[in-house]
Amino acid sequence: MSDVVERTLTALPSLLSSDPSPGRPSSTSKLGTLIRGITELTSKHDEEKLIQRELVSIKEQVSSPNTTMRQMKELMVRAVYCEMLGYEASFSYIHAIKLAQQGTALDKRVGYLAVSLFLNESHELLLLLVNTVLKDLQSTNLIEVCMALTVVGQVFPKDMIPAILPMVEEKLNHPKEIIRRKAVLALYKFYLIAPNQVQHIHSKFRKALCDKDPGVMSASLHIYLEMVTEKPESYKDLVVSFVTILKQVVGGKLPIDFNYHSVPAPWLQIQLLRILSLLGKNDRSTSEMMYEVLDESLRRAEMNHNITYAILFECVKTIYTIHPKAELLEKAAKCIGNFVLSPKINLKYLGLKALTYVVQQDADLALQHQMTIIECLDHSDLIIKRETLELLFRITNGQNVKVIVEKLLEFLRHSKDDYVTIDLGGKVTELAEKYPSEMISSSLWCMNE
Amino acid sequence: MICVVDIDRTQVGPPAVCLIGTWRTTLCAACMRFMLLFSRQGKLRLQKWYTATAERDKKKMVRELMQVVLARKPKMCSFLEWRDLKIVYKRYASLYFCCAVEEQDNELITLEVIHRFVELLDKYFGSVCELDIIFNFEKAYFILDEFLMGGEIQDTSKKSVLKAIEQADLLQEEDESPRSVLEEMGLA
Repeated sequence: MSDVVERTLTALPSLLSSDPSPGRPSSTSKLGTLIRGITELTSKHDEEKLIQRELVSIKEQVSSPNTTMRQMKELMVRAVYCEMLGYEASFSYIHAIKLAQQGTALDKRVGYLAVSLFLNESHELLLLLVNTVLKDLQSTNLIEVCMALTVVGQVFPKDMIPAILPMVEEKLNHPKEIIRRKAVLALYKFYLIAPNQVQHIHSKFRKALCDKDPGVMSASLHIYLEMVTEKPESYKDLVVSFVTILKQVVGGKLPIDFNYHSVPAPWLQIQLLRILSLLGKNDRSTSEMMYEVLDESLRRAEMNHNITYAILFECVKTIYTIHPKAELLEKAAKCIGNFVLSPKINLKYLGLKALTYVVQQDADLALQHQMTIIECLDHSDLIIKRETLELLFRITNGQNVKVIVEKLLEFLRHSKDDYVTIDLGGKVTELAEKYPSEMISSSLWCMNE
Repeated sequence: MICVVDIDRTQVGPPAVCLIGTWRTTLCAACMRFMLLFSRQGKLRLQKWYTATAERDKKKMVRELMQVVLARKPKMCSFLEWRDLKIVYKRYASLYFCCAVEEQDNELITLEVIHRFVELLDKYFGSVCELDIIFNFEKAYFILDEFLMGGEIQDTSKKSVLKAIEQADLLQEEDESPRSVLEEMGLA
């Protein structure tokens, strides 16, 4: 039956007469009036008065027994808005939960949204949501199941995970890909907040990895990245799978729908590259399994869109992390060079970042680009300067330490950011300890700022 | 690195752990901390926090960050450092999209995440403008949650994000005046 409903819903858009923009409430709605009211005011004081009045009105209405769920939905949206502006509306939290519980369809959806925005995992009210979520997970209406899984993936009390786990696990076998995908993401969330609770279902993650839908498979990679980060040794047997998947993606074997600006599933590629870099690190035989696909990825990613640059960056990182291969390193170095020399400031930044990452293994590369690096030192954009200093810090040696420390101190003197000060200050101290003889000059000890 | 940190301990620097306020936070290897949308006049239009943060800290951070980003000049880098985070931002017409990510993240990816979000909004609203987002911000949240679950971008088919939203939207239309249509299809 739900399948029929699904098909109906898919067919409805073409049946309904021209409605190009779905669900656009008029700006004469209560929310619209409130927003326009706020926009017209000029002082913060007036805004406070208006919002407080609004909150009083909302509070009255939410407590009234005559308020329908439809009206409650509208009230919750306004309450969310007020909280977003920084005003406290905690009286509405319980009503958001009730809205999710008692409302249907769009009302419920707003209820769940409000809950995810108002509350965080440790909030005691969240316990009241558990039953609603359990009920919705069993609903024949797939959209309600989706809503429940979405909220579980965002805010769910850790202690109640055992109550809901079996039901979420069950969804891993659902015929609809969106449900399977959301179930995987919910389990990912559980893994992050309570890893012990999901120890026993690792085999199910493997099944998700082999799912015929790329979206589900992609979702499982989040979990794998976490697990591989923790214990790469346990997942070496999956290297072949990851390499194969990446090959297929890069080779354009995924449905064209997964393309983003002609690049096949870029975020999926990046996840895989990260996983592979962790698995290939310090492991020659594993690394050897990856060289071909890395070469292919480098080749396919043409330098013409931000997202390909992002993939190239990850590729380069991976190549430098795993067991080295000369030809690949050469290509990667060329790539970094292109970034650093790029007139586009974002790419230059990335190039410097890459240089910083690889400089320990390939100091020559930094040398090759030293003119550009020197230019970047005086760049007007602070972040470029900062990244350059970061790079210089790593290539400090007995000869250049004095100059580099001077530059660091200069930056420190003008920095107003506490975090930067602490970080750079620490670096200067480190260098002073490493090269004490070169740093005897007292002027270098003006570090009390 | 995954670390569970005790309440009231703050650490800066690797491993990527940070406590804001007095809430316990667990962070994943590479994730977004929060996303903000605000106008050039510094009016907040949307905020999504992917880590538990105390309300007063949120307010402070938002205020500070808006000032920092609004002071940026057009030709500057889309990335900046702020506290122990990297901020990735981009301006689309009158709206600033601003994300905070971990230090080690690949900032260019985040820039594209923002772009993807804008594309989805554009497709959904049909040539989206700031007003659409202002008056329908809950719809913007629905879209955001659909493609950026828990701060992680979901690589999905183009269709599936918007389809999921539209199907749910249609439920409302169904409530209001669907009877004739469903009856036509022999389902009511």
